[in-house]
Amino acid sequence: MTKMARNNETSLGRRRLILGLGAGLGGSVIARVSPAAEGQGPAHPPHVADAPTGHEARKDAWPFFGMVQQGVVTPRPANGMVAAFSVLAKTPEDLEAMFRLLTERILFLTQGGAVPELDPRLPPPDSGILGPLIAPDNLTITVSLGSSLFDDREWLKPHKPRRLQRMTKFRNDALSADICHGDMLLQFCANTPDTNIHALRDILKTMSAHLVLRWKQEGNVPVVPPKPNGSTESARNFLGFRDGSANPDSNDANLMAETVWVGAERDEPEWAFNGTYQAVRIIRNFVERWDRTPLREQERIIGRNKASGAPLDGGTEADVPAYEKDPDGKITPLDAHIRLANPRTAKSRKNLMLRRPFNYSNGVTKSGQLDQGLLFISFQADLEEGFIAVQRRLDGEPLEEYLKPVGGGYFYVLPGAPAPETYLGETLVRAACRTTACPT
Amino acid sequence: MTRHTLFAAASFLLMAGSSLAAPSTVLDLVEPIADYKIYVSEKLDKLVEDTEAFTAAVKAGDVEKAKSLFAPTRLSYEAIEPIAELFSDLDASIDSRADDYEKQEQDPAFPGFHRIEYGLWEKGSTKDLDPVADQLLADVKALRERITDLALPPEKVVGGAAVLMEEVAATKISGEEDRYSHTDLWDFKGNFDGADKIFQLVRPLVEKQDPAFVQKVAGNFATIETTLAKYKEGDGYKSYDKLTDDDRNVLSAAVNTLAEDLSTLRGKLGLD
Ligand code: HEM
Ligand SMILES: [Cu+2]
Repeated sequence: MTKMARNNETSLGRRRLILGLGAGLGGSVIARVSPAAEGQGPAHPPHVADAPTGHEARKDAWPFFGMVQQGVVTPRPANGMVAAFSVLAKTPEDLEAMFRLLTERILFLTQGGAVPELDPRLPPPDSGILGPLIAPDNLTITVSLGSSLFDDREWLKPHKPRRLQRMTKFRNDALSADICHGDMLLQFCANTPDTNIHALRDILKTMSAHLVLRWKQEGNVPVVPPKPNGSTESARNFLGFRDGSANPDSNDANLMAETVWVGAERDEPEWAFNGTYQAVRIIRNFVERWDRTPLREQERIIGRNKASGAPLDGGTEADVPAYEKDPDGKITPLDAHIRLANPRTAKSRKNLMLRRPFNYSNGVTKSGQLDQGLLFISFQADLEEGFIAVQRRLDGEPLEEYLKPVGGGYFYVLPGAPAPETYLGETLVRAACRTTACPT
Repeated sequence: MTRHTLFAAASFLLMAGSSLAAPSTVLDLVEPIADYKIYVSEKLDKLVEDTEAFTAAVKAGDVEKAKSLFAPTRLSYEAIEPIAELFSDLDASIDSRADDYEKQEQDPAFPGFHRIEYGLWEKGSTKDLDPVADQLLADVKALRERITDLALPPEKVVGGAAVLMEEVAATKISGEEDRYSHTDLWDFKGNFDGADKIFQLVRPLVEKQDPAFVQKVAGNFATIETTLAKYKEGDGYKSYDKLTDDDRNVLSAAVNTLAEDLSTLRGKLGLD
């Protein structure tokens, strides 16, 4: 159940199309590709504004077609962004046209290739920020739908996933309407932020007739080199703690089928099988205040050792706390974040979720404090048993003093496009056409 | 470059993509540009006439009358904004917003239509507006004079259609232009009419080469027309507050798509 086998090279290699060197995600050779390195001439020491030398991983692509979408159990790269849209579609045909075009763009952007050349008297077809040849850069674009898409369309209403709803305020929330909800969410993840921005700009440019951008939030996680044995550790969040240690193992297909993917055993519409619920929360962290909090108190609030990420009863990040030996919370306080989030009882197993967050840093508040925090993203097969139940348990936790959730929303991640003739959202469009008259 | 070499260059570069400009010569554009010049000068005459009445009402201290003349007066300006913007000093003096000034509305340098709008709607008074009104009228007259003497650059005229849509998309769809009076829908109307005029003038030149393009652009103008028509009231439009989220999305998508499509007009006409 923990993440020990997470970055297992063989399972990575199986699912991943390596276009460049066969190096693993974090293990790529970091070398400047200069004429000298290739033995073609004298070395030119870099100039101050030369492009920083990159990563061989820019050439790596995740396959697009599959039963489930990428970007859920796919290993998280360093950079992420979510962008929420209003969808214009008024009819099933509009929706189909939108999904088909979106699929076409995602396929191109995630697999890479040459940008078409046009007459230079025309605006170029691409922003050009990645140059004339788009490298895949491990880009994934994950499409999910908000409750309003269904609620505002009579012909879609009957097909809404059973637990999809508009996010409502929790105790400690101060939600700002400008950064909440949306008919559709796109989650972009890539090795570099430029690849995400490039993809967003492509979609805005090519899909302006179908989508209106509402809000976006970018984030990243610190890059940590793998240990000599190839294993990796969890990235740290802006509170300085390792985040992700106790995540269910995303390489365990059975566990993912139980906690993340919606399958036939759930009372969800058939079109939605192989999808999942996505909870997105923009959670500001009061970092100045946190940094003034004694270390031991920080560790009691979270329930883990700050340096190692180990539970308070010892071991390593990968070890599991033994709450049954600590019923009064003498070691791990009963209201510690991790103990409330997952009390590890037989009953709480159904509340598991897969967390895949990014840290964000936006600017400075009017009071001169840093506006930064966690772009929290979780995936679960049941939104109510997963995110909502866990957040209700966390309501009132001591960590709240350092947090302020300000935005986000709930979305349903579409099933994957299984094969080249298919498109994302096809099962939903077909379901809608069975109950509404659709011209063929 | 002669027509022949232009064409050769274009077909060489056209590796992907659909119907690309068989470039028309500058001659093709002489007539549309001349027609456009007439359109602009009619709008300028109307602008001067309306601004005279508007500023007279302000100076007479007639708040209600001034309010009723504000939006209709701006209509002519908004229709020819890309040409007016060739003179950035006058455009700033006539149509800049409080955000452009350090102290916002309280900044003594804040001029023009929006300074008067602020006084009329927020303060309900014409106090201190006399010099602003005088300057506005003088600026509008100066604009007419300068444009009359100007040979309109074809790429600015043709590019102006996209610029108008770009402006709506970038800073108007949110209702921030006429934030005190909420008469934004009038401004939209002016911007759309101005863009549509340019499109209609060059339409015959692109029609043969790319009928699908012409149809798509005309379709988006029609969407805007029918959406705005829902908000007609008297000779003008309802308050921007009345615009529903749904209709704002429809307008926003149509405007952004027009901005994308119209930005190819220059190239389609062979202008560099
Ligand atoms: C800015 C806000 C948050 C911060 C800084 C934060 C931080 C942490 C940290 C440091 C851990 C321990 C390491 C780990 O297992 O990942 C953790 C665990 C966890 N957090 Fe959070 N968290 C935040 C918000 C949330 C929210 C909103 C939820 C869900 C509603 C949540 C659910 C969990 C869960 C389920 C665990 C794993 C507990 C376990 O299985 O032992 N967290 N969090
Ligand atoms: Cu204006």
